[in-house]
Amino acid sequence: MVGLSHYLILGAVMFCLSVAGIFLNRKNVIILLMSIELMLLAVNTNFVAFSHYLGDTAGQIFVFFILTVAAAEAAIGLAILVVVFRNRSTINVEDLDAMKG
Amino acid sequence: MAFTDLVFYVFAAISVFAGVRVISSRNPVHSALYLVLAFFTTSALWLLLEAEFLAITLVLVYVGAVMVLFLFVVMMLDINLVSLREGFARYLPVGIAVGGIIVIEMIMVLSARYGDMPKPAPHPASYSNTEELGGVLYTVYVYPFEIAAVILLVAIVAAITLTLRRRPGTKHQDPAKQVAVKREDRVRLVKVPSEPRQ
Amino acid sequence: MTPDVAEFAPLAAEIFVLAMACFILVLDAYLPDTRRLIAFRLTQVTLLGAAVLTWMQYDTMIGTTDRMVLLGGTYVADTLSMVLKLAVYAVSAGVFLYSRDYLRDRGILKGEYFVLGLFGVLGMMVMISAHNMLSVYLGLELLSLSMYTMVAFQRQNGVASEAAMKYFVLGAIASGMLLYGISMIYGASGSLDLAAIGRYVAEHGAEDRILAFGVVFIVAGLAFKLGNAPFHMWVPDIYNGAPTSVTLFIGAAPKIAAFAMVMRVLVEGLGGLHADWTPMLIILAVGSLAVGNVIAIAQTNIKRMLAYSTISHMGFVVLGILAANKVGYSGAMFYAITYALTSAGGFGLLVLLSRAGFEAEKLDDLKGLNDRNPWLAFLMLLLMFSMAGVPPTVGFYAKLSVLQAVVSADMVWLAAVAVFFSIIGAFYYIRVVKVMYFDKPEDEAPIFAGFDAKAVLSVNGLAVLALGVYPSGLMAWCAKALG
Repeated sequence: MVGLSHYLILGAVMFCLSVAGIFLNRKNVIILLMSIELMLLAVNTNFVAFSHYLGDTAGQIFVFFILTVAAAEAAIGLAILVVVFRNRSTINVEDLDAMKG
Repeated sequence: MAFTDLVFYVFAAISVFAGVRVISSRNPVHSALYLVLAFFTTSALWLLLEAEFLAITLVLVYVGAVMVLFLFVVMMLDINLVSLREGFARYLPVGIAVGGIIVIEMIMVLSARYGDMPKPAPHPASYSNTEELGGVLYTVYVYPFEIAAVILLVAIVAAITLTLRRRPGTKHQDPAKQVAVKREDRVRLVKVPSEPRQ
Repeated sequence: MTPDVAEFAPLAAEIFVLAMACFILVLDAYLPDTRRLIAFRLTQVTLLGAAVLTWMQYDTMIGTTDRMVLLGGTYVADTLSMVLKLAVYAVSAGVFLYSRDYLRDRGILKGEYFVLGLFGVLGMMVMISAHNMLSVYLGLELLSLSMYTMVAFQRQNGVASEAAMKYFVLGAIASGMLLYGISMIYGASGSLDLAAIGRYVAEHGAEDRILAFGVVFIVAGLAFKLGNAPFHMWVPDIYNGAPTSVTLFIGAAPKIAAFAMVMRVLVEGLGGLHADWTPMLIILAVGSLAVGNVIAIAQTNIKRMLAYSTISHMGFVVLGILAANKVGYSGAMFYAITYALTSAGGFGLLVLLSRAGFEAEKLDDLKGLNDRNPWLAFLMLLLMFSMAGVPPTVGFYAKLSVLQAVVSADMVWLAAVAVFFSIIGAFYYIRVVKVMYFDKPEDEAPIFAGFDAKAVLSVNGLAVLALGVYPSGLMAWCAKALG
């Protein structure tokens, strides 16, 4: 019988996958941005599952706003990425080492 | 095992697989496509949770807009794929070990608290998820709604200020000038002396 | 419930800032490049108007109620929000004034810069007045998205765009952590409203351990945003890489908003769990004090040095909060406001010293400042003494009030650790003073700074001294806000 805990465990697995993705792909900014989207997906699944099992709409409203903000965030993130690429001709994080200390 | 349980396990397995491929693909285009798969399967899981409106929104907004934007940028930037992969294998064993331990801990905490949560009564057939969300979105949550609108405005301003380039010498139309044009600007009557008939 | 128009009336300040930001955005599109200063002047008018409206909102509340919760419980107006908002306006107005000439010299004096700045101010106002997890999150994102863009604003500056990328990625990860924590709190308490969460925590905080599980993620996310060790990695790179005018913006008013966010989420919402979050905050505070004060000594870049100094000051703010009593909260509030003021002055001076084609960011750039301009050197002396906590400047009193709270919470050892690291930290602030007064200037170029910017910087520097001598006024407001 699938219950709330199954959905939460799926959320936890996806969350850890995204954190692992951030640590493993420290060089590729595009994959970093995708990992962040995956992280938000895990959080959203948590909210939707809680909202369903608590019989409360607030969780779904929160997801609605997370989706909105994430879309805005993706637009700004990719805009910054384009600016970086125009300046440096690379998105490899290890080439971005102008600052040390 | 009920049919919905089977659906859950199948879609959950696919979305975890897609998540693994997102972070381990060699090619960012593949990662983006696997992320699309993850969104699709998650949206199916949300349908199981009776969140129909959000499930559709996820597909429309994410698959339809955000992921297209990602693919656009991936293909627009000419990225050297080989150098981006270095170091992945080096961190992999540590990543799997730490990630696995965290997952197991989180599973223990979560299933201890929510393992026996009763399933809510199903909604009547006339229930509309969209209507319910819409009802509170414009009343109780009108303030967050307005802030979200401002956030989208900031995203527009930001994306334009950061990436708009005015190149000199590009050819484009200016409708205002086209409308404001007068007869005298375009047509010139030239007096040509009539030639005598021969 | 249908929202009544009258219910929006108390939000006059927020609505005014939003309307003016949109107006400036449209107006600027029609202005020629020679008249960009209009956007700057309108921004200052906006901040002044917002201050008047915020005060009027508070004035109508006096005598009837000390707390207005509006719009379905998503917005709150109280003394805390009034004091913090006025502080944000004052600091932001000073910040914009300092950066005007800097922006003009670098060709980035554009309307969008001020529009994004105003949207950032609006985000801070939303955070300060948040009474629901949703408002906290949306205010935070509004502020963060504006700041990411401002860091990358000078598009041809490669270092700044790198800094923006780092800031963006780490900030987004922090938001993800915070959201995961919020989802756990929501699942346990069944509400996003901070008052409802507070009630649930007071009743079931001890037995429902999932709350503590959520608090771990929330504290991690908040620590990222505050810039506390061990989540401080972004601070030096962003402070160093961003144009100095943007560093000035990031380093001042958002600290006040971050304090407000911690107060709303951890104290108002999850105050019943302070036994769980106090140990985590102790780690953050001690880590920040150690990292901030020790690594700063090795820095030769003054922006980087002040970034590490920020980390240590945020450690002090956390120190006040973790005492979990009224004295501690008001001490932390006093600290956050006065630090924002001091930081604005410090970075403001660096902005004034920079000219077209020259960035004042090395410690050596301050050499012999006393010979070049004794008054600016004296102001910098006051600001550095305040950061180091030398009496009679305000930094001393702020540190003292936080330490009193820590001692009153029976954590004398923690106070001793804080004093120890502050003494280490005093070394590098004094080094700045030594460089200014006892080294020969390498750079003899005269300092061009507008009269108004110099005047405001003087007021800023002298306020640091005056608040140190007469702290009781501001301290009384802080105590009242948390009373």
